[in-house]
Amino acid sequence: MSINVPKDREVPFGAVTPAPVNQQELFITSNWRIIRPIIDHEKCTRCFTCYISCPDSCWSFNEKEEQMEWNWKFCKGCGICINECPADALSAAPELDFPDGVVRLEKPF
Amino acid sequence: MQAFDYKKQILEPIKSLQGAPRAEMYVPGHRTCAGCGPALNYRLTAKAAGRDTIFVGPTGCMYVANSSYLCTPYAVSWIHAQITNGGAVASGIEGAYKILARKKKYDGPFPNIIVMAGDGGSVDIGLQAMSAMMYRGHDVLFICYDNESYANTGIQISPTSPYGANTTFTPPGKFIPEGNTLFPKDPPQLVIGGHPAVKYVATTCVSYPLDLMNKVRKALNVNGPTFLHMLSPCPKGWKFDEKLTLEMGRLAVQTGMWSLYEWENGEYKYTRIPKKYKPVSEYMKYQGRFSHLKEDHIAKMQAFVDEKISKIKAVAVEAPVPTPKAGA
Amino acid sequence: MAQEKMLSGCAAAAQAAKLAEVEVICSYPIRPYTAIMMELARMVANGELDAEFIHGEGEHAQLSVVLGASAAGARAYTGSAGVGVTYAGELYSPMAGGRYPIQMAIADRTLDPPGDFGSEHTDAMTFRDQGWLMGWASTPQEVFDNTLINYRVGEDPRVMLPQMVCQDGYFISHIPDKVILPESAQVKEFLPPYKAPHPLSLTCPVSHGPQIRPDQGAPMDAQRAATFLEVPKVIEEATADFNRIFGRNYNPYLETYQMDDAEIAFFVQGAHATTCKSAIRNLRKQGVKAGLVRPRWVRPWPTLQIAEALSNVKAVGTVETSTSYGGAMRGGNLIHELRASLYDLPVRPPVTSFMGGLGGEVVLLDDFYYMAKILTQMAKDKKTHRHVYWIGFEEE
Repeated sequence: MSINVPKDREVPFGAVTPAPVNQQELFITSNWRIIRPIIDHEKCTRCFTCYISCPDSCWSFNEKEEQMEWNWKFCKGCGICINECPADALSAAPELDFPDGVVRLEKPF
Repeated sequence: MQAFDYKKQILEPIKSLQGAPRAEMYVPGHRTCAGCGPALNYRLTAKAAGRDTIFVGPTGCMYVANSSYLCTPYAVSWIHAQITNGGAVASGIEGAYKILARKKKYDGPFPNIIVMAGDGGSVDIGLQAMSAMMYRGHDVLFICYDNESYANTGIQISPTSPYGANTTFTPPGKFIPEGNTLFPKDPPQLVIGGHPAVKYVATTCVSYPLDLMNKVRKALNVNGPTFLHMLSPCPKGWKFDEKLTLEMGRLAVQTGMWSLYEWENGEYKYTRIPKKYKPVSEYMKYQGRFSHLKEDHIAKMQAFVDEKISKIKAVAVEAPVPTPKAGA
Repeated sequence: MAQEKMLSGCAAAAQAAKLAEVEVICSYPIRPYTAIMMELARMVANGELDAEFIHGEGEHAQLSVVLGASAAGARAYTGSAGVGVTYAGELYSPMAGGRYPIQMAIADRTLDPPGDFGSEHTDAMTFRDQGWLMGWASTPQEVFDNTLINYRVGEDPRVMLPQMVCQDGYFISHIPDKVILPESAQVKEFLPPYKAPHPLSLTCPVSHGPQIRPDQGAPMDAQRAATFLEVPKVIEEATADFNRIFGRNYNPYLETYQMDDAEIAFFVQGAHATTCKSAIRNLRKQGVKAGLVRPRWVRPWPTLQIAEALSNVKAVGTVETSTSYGGAMRGGNLIHELRASLYDLPVRPPVTSFMGGLGGEVVLLDDFYYMAKILTQMAKDKKTHRHVYWIGFEEE
């Protein structure tokens, strides 16, 4: 006798998965948000408060452009960064205002 | 057993936010709630600990929400533990690395082994394993990320839930108007009280990230068991607007609901003591879990906090406890 | 230099663990297995064995500690008895499903209530569905041998499963018998070092055990079940190697005693099989053609081998040293899987079970003669009159 698991239903041995490197592509969360943070680079003082306040690491410092960069793919729109910014450089805008807003995934997960 | 150099690394203090390591060891792509306090704690801890780290994740929000489904946000090695046994699984990992190093089957740096347990997994169902690990002296950092409830199962009372909290096991009603009638355990005091091998215990708050990351590094630098109690505001459980997570943390410290301190070799050092404490109502008014409370309940909470605060100076001048020899 | 010593089952287990060079040991005291850990503690303290000896805070912690150690790549060893085995219950499935091939030495003890230090097999048998390798030794020599064989089978890349190496409390764990201790070189030839497939590493980071959806749960179960289809082949290879290197003569699955022409058969695992063999010799002197089939593995259950061994007998009786209250036969555990093994035979022998040795009672030669009388009647009548007999409780 044999037990055959179809290839598309296989799970890894002992439920051990490889670690992600920079992002976990298998759990994209951009379609969670209803607002997104908009940054005014002029007002921004590069204090890194938004960077350190995001539970989803959605702000990073772009060394080349020398400005804060926002992660469209994973931001959940919680608004912490907007609330915390000491320079008033961040504001909330409705996600629907943007052509790439309201991301739909092909399947739920 | 002869002394053996386990190649313990020393992590330098982080001087500024810009100077913090840029690498993320807890990457984007996890199912935690928007504004999740525990998730931010995890990110900061992982960032401070760096690449030579192994996380132990007892069941809880920081297991289920992080690892849905069959994928995790940990760029370093991580293992799921039962909610009951975070301290024990970490002890086994630590023992394994020690013997593998001694037998020359492994010659890399000794890993930073960190247990990320919720309040339940630290001082309720996980208390036994946590305490035994502290007692046996394993070189492991045990972190209690405290969101003051069993959050992953839908917000039930845990031993750190505040008096008066509305949880699904302590709903307010005609016969129990305050909801939760119990006052919480004090996790760092449980550890400090009677574990001779523990050299460093501290509390942190997600609203003070530099302080948090440096306490993580300080704890990891200790060769022995250490304990961090991390305040982790929970928008879903505490019922506040998710953008206010860091604001809740600040108010907790400013009202005395949360004390920021270190305990090192028998001595207390307070990180931050407000000149004048705000009334607890300033903190509670933002949180739906307290919205059913009446004047007399809030007064009871204030009395509890006042007593806690009044002890701070007293604790600082207590007779010093014997300090273990360096290298012990 | 191989030496022969008089060792109890506990001492034999400790010697085997030492020769297997276990790396992380987690202890907790509970009768009657404690002596294994006391012996290992002594070896670690005086340098005979270099291992991390961790004082667990309870049996649940013991299993948790060795799980972590195995995940990090160390060969791990622990043990327990009775309610200690049940207290660790939460960990059995995570250990097996996570594929951590630790070894747990169990010296059986009756479960509470109330306290009873005598041996019953219920403690480990209760967990036979959790996905571990499991089997009973019937002598201290076999405890020693099973320790090594189980590490070899459990750590095989085709298997990667934890093992329960069981012995009757007191009868085996505490009564010394001849044990041949091999040379370390022989053990090294038989047992390669443990190589975890995906250890918790700093250079090759992995995540052990992320949350899954229900539809991912079924494939997890299927893969675990599929592994058990591979295990028998590994057991056969390992046993053949063991026999060759150490000069033993084990059948991989069963011990059969005087079965060639047996008309009635006893089906017994563990210590009481030794008494059974004495009884068989005496019965034979009186013309009763009795034989014994002793399973050496409960998981994987040697279904085909049992059916083959019992295909020609006229009556079979199990000696149950475990309980299954409310079970199909209202007796013990072995009867259910034995009947299932025999079900597809063209001619099924009548099968019954004898509740004996419960609570840690001795099973006497007289008890075996009593059982033989019943089995002989069943053979003559070609039918099972009752499914369960309670030794010592029946009216004569």
